[in-house]
Amino acid sequence: MTTLKEQFVIPKRYNTWSMALMGVGILCLIILFITHGAKSDQREQARFWASLLQNSVYFLLMTNAVMFFICATTLAWGGFQISFRRVSEAISTAVPVIGVISVIIMLVLVFGNNHIIYQWADPNQVKASHVLQTKSPFLNKGFFTVWTLVIVSLWWLIGAKVRNLSRSIDDKSLTVEQGKNFTWTNTVWAAIYLVVFALSVMSTIPWLWLMSIDAHWYSTMYSWYTWVSTFVPGCALIAIFIIYLKNQGYLELTNEEHLHDLGKFMFAFSIFWTYLWFSQYMLIWYSNQPEETTYFIDRLGSRQNPSPYKGIFFLNLVINFVAPILILMKRGSKRHYATMTFMCVLLIFGHWLDFFQMVFPAVMKDPVTGQTHVPFMLFDFGIGLGFVGLIMFLTGRSLSKYPMIIRHHPFIKESIIHHT
Amino acid sequence: MALLRYESQVRAPLIEGTKTYHQVTEDICRPVEARPTRLWWMGFSFSVLLLCFGILSVTMEVIYGVGQWNLNKTVGWGWDITNFVWWIGIGHAGTLISAILLLFRQGWRTGVNRAAEAMTIFAVICAGQFPIWHMGRVWMGFFVLPYPNTRGPVWPNFNSALLWDVFAISTYFTVSLLFWYSGLLPDLASLRDRARLKWRKMFYGVAAFGWSGSTKHWQRFEILALVLAGLSTPLVLSVHTIVSFDFATSVVPGWHTTIFPPYFVAGAIFSGFAMVQTLLVVTRKVLGLEEYITIEHIEVMNKIIILTGSIVGIAYLTELFVAWYSANPYENFAFLQNRVNINSPYGWSYYIMMGCNVLSPQIFWIRKMRRNLVLTFFMSILVNIGMWFERFVIIVTSVYREYLPSAWSTYYRPTVWEVGFYLGTVGLFFTCYFLFAKFFPVVAAAEIKHLLKKSSDGFKHKMGELESESMEAFVERHGHDHGA
Repeated sequence: MTTLKEQFVIPKRYNTWSMALMGVGILCLIILFITHGAKSDQREQARFWASLLQNSVYFLLMTNAVMFFICATTLAWGGFQISFRRVSEAISTAVPVIGVISVIIMLVLVFGNNHIIYQWADPNQVKASHVLQTKSPFLNKGFFTVWTLVIVSLWWLIGAKVRNLSRSIDDKSLTVEQGKNFTWTNTVWAAIYLVVFALSVMSTIPWLWLMSIDAHWYSTMYSWYTWVSTFVPGCALIAIFIIYLKNQGYLELTNEEHLHDLGKFMFAFSIFWTYLWFSQYMLIWYSNQPEETTYFIDRLGSRQNPSPYKGIFFLNLVINFVAPILILMKRGSKRHYATMTFMCVLLIFGHWLDFFQMVFPAVMKDPVTGQTHVPFMLFDFGIGLGFVGLIMFLTGRSLSKYPMIIRHHPFIKESIIHHT
Repeated sequence: MALLRYESQVRAPLIEGTKTYHQVTEDICRPVEARPTRLWWMGFSFSVLLLCFGILSVTMEVIYGVGQWNLNKTVGWGWDITNFVWWIGIGHAGTLISAILLLFRQGWRTGVNRAAEAMTIFAVICAGQFPIWHMGRVWMGFFVLPYPNTRGPVWPNFNSALLWDVFAISTYFTVSLLFWYSGLLPDLASLRDRARLKWRKMFYGVAAFGWSGSTKHWQRFEILALVLAGLSTPLVLSVHTIVSFDFATSVVPGWHTTIFPPYFVAGAIFSGFAMVQTLLVVTRKVLGLEEYITIEHIEVMNKIIILTGSIVGIAYLTELFVAWYSANPYENFAFLQNRVNINSPYGWSYYIMMGCNVLSPQIFWIRKMRRNLVLTFFMSILVNIGMWFERFVIIVTSVYREYLPSAWSTYYRPTVWEVGFYLGTVGLFFTCYFLFAKFFPVVAAAEIKHLLKKSSDGFKHKMGELESESMEAFVERHGHDHGA
């Protein structure tokens, strides 16, 4: 009789690594605080907080995108994901923790005295700007706080509900009728989650959290763009955990067929990201209206006066478009552990870089000359590694608590006999 | 026993009734081989009549020029461009079903892909008429082709989204046609082999390109399907993206918004599925194909309608919100005065759009409604109307009161020849569809046969015992071949 390794035992090295990474994160945080955050200059402080904002929001939206993956595939009755569903569920347990961290950071930015990042939170700047006054029914402290708290709580609660539903059948087998009911309940909750997702990540949340950093600027594409930029690394995160667990001898029922499918998601949505990137950039470039082009001028500059972000701007495209289209298009590469691992790491970093160039240029801008400059990125990256460690820790903890196979799920057998 | 596929009993079968291969061939070929019914003749004649009216209308325009369409003011183009975009949008579901759903391995596509692809091709043909006849001097049409010439500075403007349209639509049409036709080959060969009349043998013989059903043929067939799916997936997005660029590259308030490309694509899929529903709800009944195009199929497509309708809804609200948020007085005017204000001359059209596209599809949250054929048909018509009005809102409400008040023109009505042209395209569409439904199998018989061993009642019945097997036993018996 086949015996399956259902219980994940956290290897010692895994724990060491996650602790070490979190240690690196905290160390970088402290260094950045001393070198920038503790300075009396408001611009220096903002540079410190921008790093926290970029990292926390990026990793929050990315782990939340994993819950989106679960709910989207559940709503579509996808059978293939069941064999590794516990992995996605485990990653999504990071949402509440990173959610709390992000909320704290953002509330400090909104209610603190430093308004370099969120200009709209400063009554004096609002008074001086007609545009900010017009926006104030939306961009104000009260609405920001309430909506942020409501949405993060909903992600938390519905995510927990979806996970609990999956755990509820761990020790009872289902008849076909019960299976239908179970699938139905899952579908309903997945749909509820997606409605909340549409009203948050696909619309309001990126406007509030990120687009409002460039408070005078606007683009209707912004939220959808932000969503894809977190969905690609979300899929990469699932894939990389699967590869790790496979290498440790777990997830016997998951094989290269499933990995191939995740690779397809990464590939397809990398191209979709490029599509949205191009649409947003091209339309703003083409119509050339100053109130819109400012955003890209900060990042690209002009021929005479190129922006220091130019390199990052194009590197973003190379990593997130050129690399996936060249490497992930081939069937073999989506089924190859080493190639997939490389691509996962690259894409998680690539979209981190995307978020970096979404957040920093407006913060690192000289108010007099309008010149932007790029900060020394190593410590920001270190803080990012801290979040990676945190996600590893939380995922590992959740994986070790529950069986890794949802043995009674109506679609588990479909997932075993899966050909892509 | 090496199991190649397993499908949970929780899923409803995609083919109802216990069918044999022969029965499938019989069921699907029967309508093609039978004499056309009275109903068919009536529908076909009416379509041809409409088409003739269209030909007359276009002839009037070619002889007397675009002045026949009252095109002496910008908003006069409202009707014409609306119709063009409406058709091109409808031509999106087919390729989505055939290509993207093939890549996503959605079994249910098999029942509906043939008809949806045919519909796509006809819709694109209809859409293609508009740019051609909009040229006015249509005999100069070859000017859009970039080739060395002696016309001096008259050279295609590669910076214009309108020219990109020409390339996008013709590419899309070519690939969709190839996809549709290559899928037809095995079925045409079946018809050839079953034919008794000489002309039928000849006709289907030529059309089947010598298909013999050898393993080699099937192998190439499968590879071709995958390659074409890969090629057409970006095309599904590109065509409507470029149509959206026609508007969004401008600086016209209400047109220039960055969300246009993906939102147009979602809207196109939305309207395309509505048209597929309109056609299939009737076709399956008339041709007796309810066991192949099941209620399950209808329900899934209704789910896509509510999904894409809601995506479009989010886009509408995003546009509206950002128009306000931008604090740009022109955007504000276009949205809040020309659209949202119901008392403005065309404010009503905004509410028709919102009502038909965003609010009414929400009824499909209820499962019973998704499986109700009458309601499905009614909703599909409503969505078709709503999507027509979406384009009307975008085009007319943005340009009838643009930047220059001296150029404002609230009075706008299409002329009889404009209406005639539109009705003509409707006639063209249905003429093609009636001919297709008569001479070609509307369901892909060969692909349905693949599905018999994957998701039919008979297969489900055979697999029943595996459902209750413990997971370990299942893995033991079937899992080893699959890397487990």
